[in-house]
Amino acid sequence: MRKANLLAAIFCLIWAFPVYWMVNTAFKPRPEVMTPTPHFIPQHPTLDNFVKAVTQEQFLTNLRNSVIVVVATVVVSIVLGIFAAAALSRFRFKGRRIIMVVILAVQMLPGTALLIPMFVMFNQLDLLGTYAALVLAYVATVLPFSIWVMRGFFVTIPAEIEEAARMDGASTWRVLTSVLFPLVAPGVISTGIFSFIAAWNDYLFAYTFMQDQSRYTLPVWLASFTNPYTGTDFGGQMAASVLFSIPVIVFFLIIQRNLVAGMSAGAVKG
Amino acid sequence: MTTVIAAGAPPAAPAPPEPGKRRQKRERAPLLLLSPAGLVLALVTLAPIGFLVYTSFTDYNQRSLFTGAYNSVGLGNYSDLLSSGAFWVSLLRTVLFTAAMVAGSVLIGMGVSHLLTRLEKGWRYTVTVVLIVAWAMPNVASSLVWNWLFQPGYGVVNWGLDQLRIFGDTTSLDWAQDPARAYVVIWLLIVWQAVPFIALTLNAAETQVPREYLEAARMDGASELSIYRIITLNHLKPTLLLVMILSIIWDYNVFNQIWLISRGGPGDSTSTLGVYTYKTAFVGFHIGQGAAISVVTTLLLLGLTAVYIRNLLKSGEDL
Repeated sequence: MRKANLLAAIFCLIWAFPVYWMVNTAFKPRPEVMTPTPHFIPQHPTLDNFVKAVTQEQFLTNLRNSVIVVVATVVVSIVLGIFAAAALSRFRFKGRRIIMVVILAVQMLPGTALLIPMFVMFNQLDLLGTYAALVLAYVATVLPFSIWVMRGFFVTIPAEIEEAARMDGASTWRVLTSVLFPLVAPGVISTGIFSFIAAWNDYLFAYTFMQDQSRYTLPVWLASFTNPYTGTDFGGQMAASVLFSIPVIVFFLIIQRNLVAGMSAGAVKG
Repeated sequence: MTTVIAAGAPPAAPAPPEPGKRRQKRERAPLLLLSPAGLVLALVTLAPIGFLVYTSFTDYNQRSLFTGAYNSVGLGNYSDLLSSGAFWVSLLRTVLFTAAMVAGSVLIGMGVSHLLTRLEKGWRYTVTVVLIVAWAMPNVASSLVWNWLFQPGYGVVNWGLDQLRIFGDTTSLDWAQDPARAYVVIWLLIVWQAVPFIALTLNAAETQVPREYLEAARMDGASELSIYRIITLNHLKPTLLLVMILSIIWDYNVFNQIWLISRGGPGDSTSTLGVYTYKTAFVGFHIGQGAAISVVTTLLLLGLTAVYIRNLLKSGEDL
């Protein structure tokens, strides 16, 4: 075996191990989970842990909360973002640069810089525990990078296409909706996926704003996944982690090609 | 100047004068397109930031949350902060821990990026998929996986260490109870999740290094190490800089992983600035004080953020 291949094999073993261990544990019955000598393959594979996870009292409610908040965030940031991205890429005007600087700067703020003031404001407006509170917080983190990433897709459209449409007498609105938007559609989809992941994964805001179990989103549900009678149920927790991670992993594999560009624009923080 | 332009177009000659009405319309278009997003962003980001700064000059606390009453304390929170040992310790902790995480993830990332260039298709594909899956794991899920891997009693890591027979009986080693060990666990998690982005970003740049340079150097009998050091690294510099800045910003702000693994403990020993702010504002409910820490945290990063923004604006964008 070549040296490089050997290194690659070692790297894969180490890096894949935590994911493999999560999946492995998820399929084990409890006695196999709680044993001092671990089994590297489930001896009696079972779906019990998954059944336990999804039949938990709060699972469906919390899943619904997650879906509502995430979908609202994605729709709002795409709709608002696409027009802003068009303005920042297809037009030159005064103040353009400063707007872009603000958009990029906002993304680099520590989470608490938005969390603290929003908590106080939402408390006063009686919005804590509502979907609106979370959607506003997520739009604040997701909209700036949506604008930036979609702008990147707009800039790649050659000017001639737009000029041709204008020559034919199309209005700015027509040029946008019938020429430019269809051309950036693939970019919009990956931007939407980025936004989905960012909102789906958030723990900090949901944990702080949604103080009632029935209001939790899935990350908070996951982190508080314990069995009141037997302590932490690791089998159930790993099964729940698998279920929670699958949509994100699938999406990551879909947008693979755009990942690096989106990441460096501040999407999907580590 | 309001001419419709596209990326990459050479700076156009001054546009022919347009009829006044049309010109005005064009000027209005970007404004109209921007204003919905602009209004929303002002409402959800600029207003809170303004309010954060305002709150940092008050004694806003748990009682204020119910009564809405609070007092201005001027610079009180800031002077308390600067004279508080806990803040400086937390800052020092954050700086050191960030350095350790960034160094670890960038070095391993560089190694993996280089490794990728030397692999045949099959292995390259396998490594890439492994990287993407590790990267994709939501950090709440990976933090829980980490807790389970390092669980005292039944955790597989303790079992593995025990098999090595170097450290004695490690079966019930409690990682979260000891500051150094808690750091090791968190460090491993952050590095594990950070390496994929760094490796793939660097690899994208590394594959752009002109082959002729490398081949010429090889012909001249240069060692692989000096080729990497002199040619490849030189090409990677801009990307490396971007990746390092981003890693510093992210690692400096890290919260979830620390919170879910150690809650900043034992004691306060893993309370980096993010956790320290959170505890101050939402465990002790000294919200004004927490706001001040948050402001200082942000200001400390301002320099780096500026470099990053300049970099991003410059990188191939028409401005």
